[in-house]
Amino acid sequence: MGVGTQSHCPYCALQCAMTLTPPEAGTGPTPVTITPRQFPTNLGGLCQKGWTSAEVLTATDRITTPLLRGADGALHPAGWDEALTVIATRVRAIQAEHGPEAIAVFGGGGLTNEKAYALGKFARTVLRTPNIDYNGRFCMASAAAGANRSLGADRGLPFPLADLAGAGAVMLLGSNLAETMPPSVQHLADVRDRGGLVVVDPRRSTTAALTGADGESGVHLQPVPGTDLVVLLALTHVVLTEGLADQAYLADRTTGATEVQRSVAAWWPERAEGVCGVPAAQLRATARLLAAAAPVHGGPGAYILTGRGVEQSTQGTATVTAAINLALTLGLPGRVGSGYGAITGQGNGQGGREHGQKSDQLPGYRKIDDPAARAHVARVWGVDPPTIPGPGKPAVQLLTSLGTPGGPRALFVHGSNVLVSAPNADRVADRLRALDLLVVCDFVPSETALRADVVLPVTQWAEEEGTMTSLEGRVIRRRRALAPPGQARSELWIFAELARRLGSGVHFGTDPAAVFDELAAASGGGIADYAGLSHARLDADEADGGPGLFWPVPGPDHPGTPRLFLDDFPTPDGRARMIAVDHVGPSDDVRPDAPIYLVTGRVLQHYQSGAQTHRVPELERLSSEPFVELHPILGFRLGIADGDLVRLTSVRGSIQAPARWTDRIRPDTVFMPFHWSGAGSVNRITTDATDPISHMPEFKVCAVSVTPLIPAAAEPLAAQGVAS
Amino acid sequence: MTARTRIVVVGNGMVGSRFVADLTAADADAEFDVTLLGEEEYHSYNRVLLSEVVAGKVDLSALALPEPDGDRVRVERGAPVIAIDRASRTVLTSSGSHHYDRVVLATGSVARIPDLPGLEGDLPAGVHALRTLDDAREIVAATANARRAVVIGAGVLGLEAACGLARRGLEVAVIHAADTVMDRQLDADAGRVAQASLAGLGIATWTRAATRRVVVEDGRVTGIEVDAGEDPVTLAADLVVLACGTTPEVALARSAGLAVDRGVLVGADLASPDDPRIFAIGDCAQPREGGAGLIAQGWDQARRLAGLLTRPGQGPPTAARPERPSMALRLSLITGVVSRPARPAAAPALAAGTDVVRLKAAGLEVVTMGVSGARRGRDSAHRSVRLSDPAAGRHVEVVVADGLLVGATCVGAPEVAADLSAAYTRRTPVPADPAQLLIRPLTTAAAPAATPERMPDSATVCLCNGVTKGDIVTACRAGAHTAADIARATRATTGCGGCKETVCGLLDWLGAVGPRIPDPEQAGARLV
Repeated sequence: MGVGTQSHCPYCALQCAMTLTPPEAGTGPTPVTITPRQFPTNLGGLCQKGWTSAEVLTATDRITTPLLRGADGALHPAGWDEALTVIATRVRAIQAEHGPEAIAVFGGGGLTNEKAYALGKFARTVLRTPNIDYNGRFCMASAAAGANRSLGADRGLPFPLADLAGAGAVMLLGSNLAETMPPSVQHLADVRDRGGLVVVDPRRSTTAALTGADGESGVHLQPVPGTDLVVLLALTHVVLTEGLADQAYLADRTTGATEVQRSVAAWWPERAEGVCGVPAAQLRATARLLAAAAPVHGGPGAYILTGRGVEQSTQGTATVTAAINLALTLGLPGRVGSGYGAITGQGNGQGGREHGQKSDQLPGYRKIDDPAARAHVARVWGVDPPTIPGPGKPAVQLLTSLGTPGGPRALFVHGSNVLVSAPNADRVADRLRALDLLVVCDFVPSETALRADVVLPVTQWAEEEGTMTSLEGRVIRRRRALAPPGQARSELWIFAELARRLGSGVHFGTDPAAVFDELAAASGGGIADYAGLSHARLDADEADGGPGLFWPVPGPDHPGTPRLFLDDFPTPDGRARMIAVDHVGPSDDVRPDAPIYLVTGRVLQHYQSGAQTHRVPELERLSSEPFVELHPILGFRLGIADGDLVRLTSVRGSIQAPARWTDRIRPDTVFMPFHWSGAGSVNRITTDATDPISHMPEFKVCAVSVTPLIPAAAEPLAAQGVAS
Repeated sequence: MTARTRIVVVGNGMVGSRFVADLTAADADAEFDVTLLGEEEYHSYNRVLLSEVVAGKVDLSALALPEPDGDRVRVERGAPVIAIDRASRTVLTSSGSHHYDRVVLATGSVARIPDLPGLEGDLPAGVHALRTLDDAREIVAATANARRAVVIGAGVLGLEAACGLARRGLEVAVIHAADTVMDRQLDADAGRVAQASLAGLGIATWTRAATRRVVVEDGRVTGIEVDAGEDPVTLAADLVVLACGTTPEVALARSAGLAVDRGVLVGADLASPDDPRIFAIGDCAQPREGGAGLIAQGWDQARRLAGLLTRPGQGPPTAARPERPSMALRLSLITGVVSRPARPAAAPALAAGTDVVRLKAAGLEVVTMGVSGARRGRDSAHRSVRLSDPAAGRHVEVVVADGLLVGATCVGAPEVAADLSAAYTRRTPVPADPAQLLIRPLTTAAAPAATPERMPDSATVCLCNGVTKGDIVTACRAGAHTAADIARATRATTGCGGCKETVCGLLDWLGAVGPRIPDPEQAGARLV
């Protein structure tokens, strides 16, 4: 290893490799200098968020001491002992009055594996509450539910990202990776040269534009919001009716193909066109393009990849299932050079969903209602299996129940800013106000932290050791380059302290390497098996320029598993399950008083709720406020000029932001990025209706009315995430 | 617990089987005991795609539709119903009887066989309707040896069959009595454009033509005698497809004493006015708004009836998902404001979204919806705008009322048609000027790349790092003369690398014109 600390970017699941070095004297305000590093996912690239990520370390409003809300209603600095004592005392009181279920925990997909694991353990063994879930429910839940059900395991990409380079076709559904993880676009260069990039998105996003101005690099299908499932059903219909399916694969490696074939018989392209707005001929051509790339037709391989755009839906699990059905029909999963995958969003969105901060899970992707899983984990934790609570409420239901009769009275929030990132956010604000105790661990005063009774300052990425699991299922090391400021501490220490103060005899380690070893033991034998991994092994592999280690890694001599499913699927019969699904449509569909679709998404400069990126001036300079993208045709119709302030109203509320004319969107749809709080915070009006299987909320589509706003009626725009 | 309600569904076609699926999905508590009786021996299949089978685009084996849940539904195939005895509430088949609380008739329709010399009794060899799986199978078998096909009837099915047979390499003629093809959906101008497209596919159209006789020799068809205004001519044919429309299958209802017009009369509740225990849906039914003969209407009725039966007394809910009415119903409520002058004023409008007609034929793109063709009236509230481009095989007309699209006709404009279908079925706002609906707007995505000189300084070159042309020019003037220098100075190219070419292009341009850029600090040095 060269000079400097080898680590990875704090933001998305691509986990771009970077080297952190102390700055040369007088070169800048940041405590470390960032240099991109060659790594299989980012190939030496970094986007602007990564380049500037060190600036968050010295954010001027960084929280450096515990904060306690005083009698005056304001947050005041406090000592650790005082803050932890307040928490422990109030938790005990609430538990005594309302029982252990009255304490709830909300985690995050940005926490390291070690922290996520310890958080789940803390909830189940110290608080003994079933009520723990996390913001990954807003992110990966539908992909996880779909992949687990159909393929037997959910590892976002069950193959290395670099495999995409060899494909003849790559279909991206609801993913704008050119803005959300820009360096990953390099992996699409070859397939674009072959004309094989297929992007399904109601917007001509930056990613959709990669298909080429004249379609020379691929195809952009621009369906009506909420109808991606119909696109998939029609594509599968064409593959099956035109005799393009991989029948040998279906016979050898799947069950349920007949039912799926029968179900898609009702979705011929002309019918699908009427629902999804994609011309029938384009659907047919796309199905043939995918089939030609499939191994069964001698093609170089094909991939079908889903993102939040199709997953954050009340039919998100069904849509993922349909994507997998299409992939299976073409014979893709479990073949080198082909496959289905979901593009994980948050930095540790993959590891975060494997080690027990999900309401229905124990470490290693074990099910919490599986007696064998409970016994195994209880042994590692040193507790009696019956003391581990059963399944709790998934995120939206959990947040909705806060402070209600019989619902939780206290909430711990870790690595999440629910006031901006949860759907129907005004209702979440009401629920937080109804709590008796809100404890938030964060490193900056996020909107949610500012509502807390107790705020605990925690370490950031460059200040801590740990591991992350990238979008490929590759376990990688996060390393410490500098000391945390002030009194900021790791959550591992906080859990240990709180456990002690709450009188728990359960051991909580504070050394990340030791916590990882415990995690590895707890995950052993599970689907996401880390048993053969340790910080030392990961360090040695990296020092050797090794190939990287992908789970499952069941033993110290096991080389890891870059590609899953090659021999069989981890289902009881070893076969992938094809499950027939049908289209129902959005829960909040257009109607006379809300005739326009609203879709939400991201911009390159910001990450999630913006708690970090709004604190980087260079990012704010380029993207300082929310906006409403609308087509000029809609603008003319509604009397809204480019730059005019507009109001969007759904049944849940109203928000406002300046209009931005673009012809990259359907005239029946408006788009807003969701990185802001305040008057332009789009999640105040998105729906919290959830998928019946994954419990993923339907962020991505709802019905709104759009009206021009005369300046006098406008509220000031809250461009920044910080309350003044 | 009360006894389960016995429902007998007569007809295992697309609508009958869909109704059973919707009913079992909505009947979470298994309150219904369902028997499904199908006349054909086959499992339910997708009849809409039979023309695609004829065209050789779809495999017969791919037509099978989902099977009902075997644990909850008794299915009898090859079980034609002989009678409904309303007094004893019994449905009789050749093999037995079924007591019922409710009967749902989904008997569909049969192909209309024209009254022509040569078609008396059984059809001669080589003459086929196109209504059943067997019909399609026989036509496909016949195409192996046939060379000349005549299709009688140039409606939707006739044109799909004609295009399909032409695709298989047969010489095809279409005979149609009206002035232009698809006259139920297309006005004369649009029909003529479609006709020209048919000619382009090598299909001869005989319009305003009366079929006089089917010429049969030795029990096999050899031609069709047609009268098109001049002396009758005989078109040689070794394959004839009859596409003369369909007739609702109402014999069972009629013999049971139920009111029957063209179809089985039903009210808004889809029940017969003569017997509230008997319902009719799909092609066999004649609701007050009339039967469209389109699958979308039948499926919408199936969903509505499942809702009515599972949640009686709650008005007309519709979706299989109980919390939400179907799009079609919601739209039908919305469209109450839109008058349909071609219909009697008292008749309710068809549920919008269920009357989109989409021809399935390679090389001939026709889509109509709502107020179109013969259904177009003279309503002064309707604003109608058309684009007529016969030389390019294109004809688009939109009809707008109260800021909504209420009808459209698209020939040879499939992408516009897809957009219009989406706007029509959802009632999304149409442009202030409806003429903008006639073509797809150009997108800047297709604009030619700006040359370095023309690119504004504010244009973003490196999206990943937010680097503009101006930033690069500034960096170059400050001494960054290679792509690596620029990357160090601005981070351009360090994300996805997609802008490398543009950056190099800018550097070349700056190198070439550099001395001419008015920049006092650098200019002196470079001129030396």
